[in-house]
Amino acid sequence: MNHGSIFDTIIVGSGAAGLSAGIYAGRYLMKTLIVRGNFGGETATAGQIWNYPGAPGVDGYDLMKNFEKQARDSGAEIINGKVTRAKNVDGCFDVSVSDKICHAKTIIFAQGAERRHLGLAREEEFTSKGVHYCVTCDGPLYTGKTVAIVGGGDASIKGIIDLAKYVEKIYFIVRADKLTRPEPVNLSELDKLGDKVIRLFETQVSELIGDKVLEKIILSKAYNGSNELKIDGLFVEIGAKPDIAVPISLGVALDKFGYIVVDNVMQTNISGIYAAGDTVNHFGPFKQTITAAALGAVAATSAYNFYKTKGELCKLHWKTSTK
Amino acid sequence: MKIYSTPTCVWCRATKDYLTEHKVVFEDINVAQDAVAREYMFKRTGQMGVPVIEIGNDVIVGFDEERIGKLLGLNS
Repeated sequence: MNHGSIFDTIIVGSGAAGLSAGIYAGRYLMKTLIVRGNFGGETATAGQIWNYPGAPGVDGYDLMKNFEKQARDSGAEIINGKVTRAKNVDGCFDVSVSDKICHAKTIIFAQGAERRHLGLAREEEFTSKGVHYCVTCDGPLYTGKTVAIVGGGDASIKGIIDLAKYVEKIYFIVRADKLTRPEPVNLSELDKLGDKVIRLFETQVSELIGDKVLEKIILSKAYNGSNELKIDGLFVEIGAKPDIAVPISLGVALDKFGYIVVDNVMQTNISGIYAAGDTVNHFGPFKQTITAAALGAVAATSAYNFYKTKGELCKLHWKTSTK
Repeated sequence: MKIYSTPTCVWCRATKDYLTEHKVVFEDINVAQDAVAREYMFKRTGQMGVPVIEIGNDVIVGFDEERIGKLLGLNS
């Protein structure tokens, strides 16, 4: 292990929350490290975004590239890698990033969430072989084909609108008996697709079938007299679960849904540790680029206020810094 | 070197940005439009995820920056 530099704050994650925190921390003149992980988070894969103020129709990837540039321009250092471990040492933190240990007085967890899977047998085997979790990435590969999408939230509606540009037919598999969560404007777009989208309510996928690739699925409720549905591809858009292994190892408290518990200024139960974005449940299921960016800004401000008053280095870090 | 990609795929764009930043010349093949290339990609890798990056005889599925950098001698 190499010993990396000492930072005032280490931001874990580079989606809207992490990069926004980086912009603010940089402008507070904090020595800031952003651990990049999956660049751009959920925003980068969202396609066109119509509800981010000041940038109607902006491409999510481009928006995140701009966030990243702004964070760098504000003074944040950005490295690729994954935070594998973190340790609280006398109130400072040793953070393992790939083959390096970096040190920081504060941590902001903004690592987002991972796409939820269906939890079915052979799902892993069929991943990228008919089963997909990113419409903007793999949707165009099904040009002229028949696909199904599992969901019910806003992301699945946006996914259908994207898929409809390419595919012949879409089966929309929804566990509930109606759609209540998506934005009305997106539901209106969905309605315009007409018969191209066949809605299967109160239905779940119970089995994935195929030889080397997915060939058909078994539905929990019959459609046209059969539970078997032949499709070319299946897209899963059933939300995400927070990535919380490292925060847990530091004793960070979680709520009953597995999200990091924070107060109104994004402070966790551990002094010097903050969290923002999709890893917290601050606005409940309302998880948007604008809310993630706002939470990141608040978390960085709180980390700065803490650093200003309690930012002295512990003995270990002092020793490392004078080597 | 060739990249099999779709226009909206984030990791395809990240791969191309990375190569462009490092001044690497590559051929970009849009498998959303090119059905023959799509079939080739599937046969070559046994899967339908993009990006697929061909560097000589090596094939990389996904934006594996470290491996791409290693094969191209870009890692410092």
